[in-house]
Amino acid sequence: MYKLLLCWKYLRTRYLAMVCIVSVMLGVATLIVVNSVMGGFSTKLKERLHGLLSDVVLEAYDYDGFTNAPAKMEQIRNDPFLSKEVEAMTPTLEIFAMLQFTFREVPFTRPIRIIGIEPEGRKAVGGFAEHLVNPANQIKPTFEMDENARERYLIKRATRGIDFPGPREAPNLNEPPPPDPPPSKPHDSLGVILGYAIAHYRDRNAPADLPNKDVRTLEPGDEVIITTVSGAKMSPVFDRFVVTDYFKSEMSEYDSNYVFMPMAHLQKLRTMEDRVTSIQIKLRDFNNAPKVVQRLKQLFANAPLEVQTWEQKQGAVLAAIRVERSILNILLFLIIAVAGFGILAIFSMIVVEKTRDIGILKALGASNGGILTIFIGYGLLLGLVGAGLGTLVGLEITIHINDIEKFIASITGQDIFPRDVYYFDKIPTDISPMGVFLVNLGSVGIAVLFSILPALRASMLHPVRALRYE
Amino acid sequence: MDENAFLFAKNLHKTYRKNAISTPVLRGVDMEIAEGEFLSIVGASGSGKSTLMHLLGSLDKPDSGEIYFRNRRIDNLSADKRDYLRNQEFGFIFQFYHLLPELTALQNVMIPLMIRNSVFSWMTGGTSSKQRAIALMERVGLGHRLHHLPSELSGGEMQRTAIARALIGNPSLIFADEPTGNLDEETGKEIVDLLRELNERDKVTIIMVTHNLEIARGTHRIMKLVAGHVEIPLDEQPFGVLPEVFPVVRPKIFNELPDEPKYQAGSL
Repeated sequence: MYKLLLCWKYLRTRYLAMVCIVSVMLGVATLIVVNSVMGGFSTKLKERLHGLLSDVVLEAYDYDGFTNAPAKMEQIRNDPFLSKEVEAMTPTLEIFAMLQFTFREVPFTRPIRIIGIEPEGRKAVGGFAEHLVNPANQIKPTFEMDENARERYLIKRATRGIDFPGPREAPNLNEPPPPDPPPSKPHDSLGVILGYAIAHYRDRNAPADLPNKDVRTLEPGDEVIITTVSGAKMSPVFDRFVVTDYFKSEMSEYDSNYVFMPMAHLQKLRTMEDRVTSIQIKLRDFNNAPKVVQRLKQLFANAPLEVQTWEQKQGAVLAAIRVERSILNILLFLIIAVAGFGILAIFSMIVVEKTRDIGILKALGASNGGILTIFIGYGLLLGLVGAGLGTLVGLEITIHINDIEKFIASITGQDIFPRDVYYFDKIPTDISPMGVFLVNLGSVGIAVLFSILPALRASMLHPVRALRYE
Repeated sequence: MDENAFLFAKNLHKTYRKNAISTPVLRGVDMEIAEGEFLSIVGASGSGKSTLMHLLGSLDKPDSGEIYFRNRRIDNLSADKRDYLRNQEFGFIFQFYHLLPELTALQNVMIPLMIRNSVFSWMTGGTSSKQRAIALMERVGLGHRLHHLPSELSGGEMQRTAIARALIGNPSLIFADEPTGNLDEETGKEIVDLLRELNERDKVTIIMVTHNLEIARGTHRIMKLVAGHVEIPLDEQPFGVLPEVFPVVRPKIFNELPDEPKYQAGSL
C-alpha cells in the first residue's frame, strides 16, 4: 500500500516529472496523427485503385492477345465454383498509341493507352461509367455524340482537309496485293472517350478563388488522330476519331493516359480479328479473389494467359506505401525513445534526491523489491498519463486536421495541402484502433523500460549509507 | 551472559572499507538487554555506538559475531526475514527524525502498517489502522497536528511523530539513535521523558544511543563504548538514578504536579 501512496504523491508533487509526461505525450500524439493521415492516404489510394481496376484480370502475355474470348467467358460461367463467385465479366483490348490534335492552331502529340471496350459490359464490371463526365453516360455509357458535340463536329468537318482511308480489309495472302491503295471513303469518325487530363490542363495563373481552373483543349465534337500498331506485322495504323466524353478518375496515371474506344473498331484497325488482350472480372466477394485466381489458373493452364488480382497488378505501388509507412513509424518511435532517455535522466535525479527517504523506508521494513516496485510503478504511471494525454491530443488533431490546415495556411500564406497535386479536396484520415493501441503500448513499455535502471539502483541502496546521505 | 536475555550479541566486529583503507569500528562487542529494560549506549563520536545499534536492529550485518533475539539468531537471516523483523518487531527513532516529506504526520505514522499490508488488505481492512494512528498521535501529544506536513512541524513535534511511527506496529524493541541530538535541552528532556513513560507504563524495551550522559542517567542502565570496545562492565550500573529525575520534567508535559525545583547538573 505504501508503494501506491508514494507513487501517487511523487506524481502530484514532482513538477520535473511533467517534462517526462510532456515528451511521451508529444511522441504519442505525433505517431497517432502521422499514422492516421498516412493510413487515410493509403486507404483512399487503395479504394481508388480498386475502384478503377477489376477484381481479377486474365491478361495476355503480349499485345497480340488471345483468341476466343467469348468461349473462355462461357467456360468461366459454366464452372460451378466460379459461376458463384463471378458477378460480371468483359473483354478488353489494350494497346499503346499516339494521340494528335490541334489546339489554338498548334499541333500537340500525346502518348496514350487505348482501351477497346464494350461499353455496357465494361460498366457492369465497374470502375468506368461512374467516372464519365457526361451524366447521361454514367447511366448508359456510349460512344455516341450528344447534340452540341455533333453540331460542332459537323461544322469542323466541313472545313477540314483530307479524310483518312478507313481501316483496310485483312489482306488475302493467296492473291497478289492491289496495285494502289483503295480510294478513301468518307465515313463518320467514331467516338472516343478521353482521359480528363489529356483534354484539360490547370491554369496556374488563374485567380485563386476561381472554382474551375481547368482549361479545355479538346471539346466534345473535336477530332483527334490516333496512331497505333497493328497486331499482325506491327506496322503503324491510324485513324481519325471524335471526342464524345471525358473519363475523370482523379488519378493522374489514368486520366492522362487512357482513351476508350469501341472494341470492334479497334480490332478491325489492328487487324486482330477477334483477339482481345484481357478479360476483366468482377467478383461478388473480393475476399475470395485468391481462390478464384487459383481456379482460373487451373482452368486456363495451357492458355497464353496470366491471372492476377488487382492488388498483384498494383503490387509495386502498394508495397512502396507499406515500406514508406514502416520506415516512418520507426523514425517516429525514436521520438518516444528520446522521451525514454529523459525519463532515465530524471528518474536518476529523483533517486538521488530520495536516497534518504529510501533508507527510511528500508529501515521501517520495506523490501528491496518494494522499492523497485515504487520506481517502476512511477515510470508506469508517467507512461500511462503521457500516453493517455498524447492519445487525446493526437485524436483531436486528426479529427480536426482540415480546420487546422486551413488555419495554418491562412497564417503563413503557404498552401500546405495543394489540392491539384493531391486530387483530394480534404486531407484523408483513417484512425486505426489497433494502431493507436500499439502506439500506447509501445510508449508505456518504453517508459517502464527506462525506469528500470534507476529503480534498480534505488532498490540496492544500503539502508545505513542511505540514511547517512546528506 | 544470560543466554535467555531478550536481545544479546556476542563478539561483534564491524569494519568499514573505503578503497584500500579499512576502519575497524567494532572490535569484539558483547551486550545484552532484558525485556522491559531501558538501556543507554554512550560513547564519544566515532566510538561505534550508532554502528552497534544498526547491527542490533539488523539494518546492517556484522563482519563476525552473533546476535540473538528471543533466542533466535538474527544476524544471518535472509533479507526478507530481516525486513519482517524491522517492520514487526523493531521500531526506530533517529536523530534527524527521518519523516517522509510528502506525507502528512498521520500518514507518516501509518507507513509501517502500509508496508505490512498490501493494497487489497489495506482497502478492506477498515479504519482500524487509522484509528490506532490517531490514538498514538494523541498519546504523544500531537492530536492537533495530524494533517500537517513535516515541514510545518517543529523539531520536537517531528520527533514525537517519529516515536508514534515507531510504536504503531506494536514492536517489542525500540531503537533510538540520538533522539535528542537535534533538539534543544528542554525539548530533549520532554522526548526522553516520553520514552521513559512508554518504557514504564507500556513496558516497551528501549535501546538508546546518546552522547549526552545526563540523559543517559535517566535510564535503567548505561553501556559505554570506547574505540569499539565496551568500557564499563554491564553489572556495575547505578540503578537508583531514576526517582530523583522523574518529578522534575514530568509536570511540563502532563500538567499533574506543581513545579518542583529544577534538577541541578552535577549534584549527583
